[in-house]
Amino acid sequence: MISPELLLQNSVDGIFLGLFYSLVAMGLALIFGVMDIINFAHGDLLMIAAYFVWLTSVDLSVDPTVTALLLIPLFFIIGIGIFFGMIQPVLGKEPLIQIAVTVGLGLILQNIALAMFKAQPKAVPYSIFNFSYSLGPLTIYASKLFIAVISIVTMYALNVFLNKTYIGLAMRSTTDNREVAQLMGINTRMLYAVTFGLGVALIALSSSLWMTFGQVQPYLGTSFSLISWVIVAMGGLGGITGVVYSGLIVGVAESLGSLFLTPSARMAVVYIIFFLVLWFRPRGLFGRR
Amino acid sequence: MVAFGTGSKKIALELLVIAILLAVIPLVLMGNAYYELLAATVVLFSSMVVAWNIIGGYAGQLDLGAFAYVGVGGIITSELWIKAGIPPLLGIFAGGAASLLIAVIIGIPTFRFGIKEVWYALLTAALVVIFNNLSRVLMGPTDYYLPPKTGILYLKFNSYEIMYAIASVILILTVLANLAIERSKIGYYLKSIREDELAAEMIGIDTRRYKLYALMIYSFFLGVMGYIYIVLAASFSYRMFDSSSSLSIAIMGIIGGLGSIEGGIVSAMVLRSLGEYFRSSFGSTVPGLDLLLYGIVLVIVGIFQPEGIAGIINRINKAMKKKR
Repeated sequence: MISPELLLQNSVDGIFLGLFYSLVAMGLALIFGVMDIINFAHGDLLMIAAYFVWLTSVDLSVDPTVTALLLIPLFFIIGIGIFFGMIQPVLGKEPLIQIAVTVGLGLILQNIALAMFKAQPKAVPYSIFNFSYSLGPLTIYASKLFIAVISIVTMYALNVFLNKTYIGLAMRSTTDNREVAQLMGINTRMLYAVTFGLGVALIALSSSLWMTFGQVQPYLGTSFSLISWVIVAMGGLGGITGVVYSGLIVGVAESLGSLFLTPSARMAVVYIIFFLVLWFRPRGLFGRR
Repeated sequence: MVAFGTGSKKIALELLVIAILLAVIPLVLMGNAYYELLAATVVLFSSMVVAWNIIGGYAGQLDLGAFAYVGVGGIITSELWIKAGIPPLLGIFAGGAASLLIAVIIGIPTFRFGIKEVWYALLTAALVVIFNNLSRVLMGPTDYYLPPKTGILYLKFNSYEIMYAIASVILILTVLANLAIERSKIGYYLKSIREDELAAEMIGIDTRRYKLYALMIYSFFLGVMGYIYIVLAASFSYRMFDSSSSLSIAIMGIIGGLGSIEGGIVSAMVLRSLGEYFRSSFGSTVPGLDLLLYGIVLVIVGIFQPEGIAGIINRINKAMKKKR
């Protein structure tokens, strides 16, 4: 029998995980919403960024959280580079072509990582958040709490950015209607480049957070890509709140799934929910269009 | 697509060419068992790509779930033999039917609720993971082995040459099914759905039904191939529900060119053989070179040659016609 303490513990862990997932999916939602590009390499970019975190924090002996300061600008530039090199040529092409190119990019990143770092998982040996609080029957890991807090702060900042700044408003109006946005004098090409850079920079931030408690191996990206897409599908482009709620659903479902079934079957629960959402709410749970 | 033309004489000729090529390969390999196993695997993969062409190429639905059907068909056939003693010669049809049943259960709501493009791709990719996780719970992490019997009744032989012949027969049957679809009403309906689903619906095509037909045919063929896959791999486990293998079937289909049988065969044979070569030569020092190659080819095809290998074949055909 599952004790209520265990249930509570897993729910809390699931909420923390869900907030992190929504941060990961946010970049994807932004890219898909603004520029209609289907990016299947999202998780693999996170995997590469996580290796960067591992390399820098081991070589420079700094905490993984500090590496975010270096990685965010670096990956913003990398993102813009990827946009002009690979994404721009397939803008507006059929979904299948976009999927093919981004799956190709994902395979390239995955196997470069495999060739360079081999398949053994790598973890950062230390983090200042390697301790936990006891709250009655509940154990709260500082690293996971920290990740949840940073995720909330980042999404709040993103919300302000999308609502108050010129670029943010341009992104939102392009999401709503591309042609009209162009008529209003928005340079969509530059906007796309900035959006893609921003999406990839958000991945870099997520990877720094992930490495405070997680491990990285070359196939890490595959599951993150799929989970991010599931969250975007369930969020239904309903803005930041939709992504957060879907992220929470996925996180809690995964956590409770590993409790009620076995840990190896936890993703089945998430994907079965995904099936049901797609079948019965094809526009997503919180969709606008 | 174009190279096959419309005349039935031409089709017979093309099939003959494929059959002769398939027959010559074992002579070149000269009894090396490893190469024969490799050749059988390559031919089996080609048939999977040709089967994928039905749903991915003609109907234009990006299916990333090939190994969900391969796994269900293969495992059902093997379990029927191990548990109930039903010989695989009959069992593979039960396996194919089981895959078809899954396809119907998944396909009806999926097409009913208009799930397409990226959402269809995600759904099918998720299907493989669901089967992987659930079968891990049901079957445990162990590997299962087929009984040591051999013979035509079990579609299992110690000689890889005969396994190669079986794979070749399956490839030819899959090609025939493709040709039959391409030249029938279903084929034209599917192609019109691929080009413009809304327009297809407007002119009165029951798009849901025909997409379901495509999915059913595709899944049945994959289900039948599942058992041969198990015989070649020598064992089976929950790992058969493999996302990256499913993805590589779609990759080879896209690189071959949508709706092109010969493009699919060429791309599967070339990529799979090159991949195996890389894996056997550099697998221990630089793992993943084969998949890196797939990735690079995929990006190049996507950006520069969206019609895939079929586009190249067409161009060669046109150039040859001009010379004449």
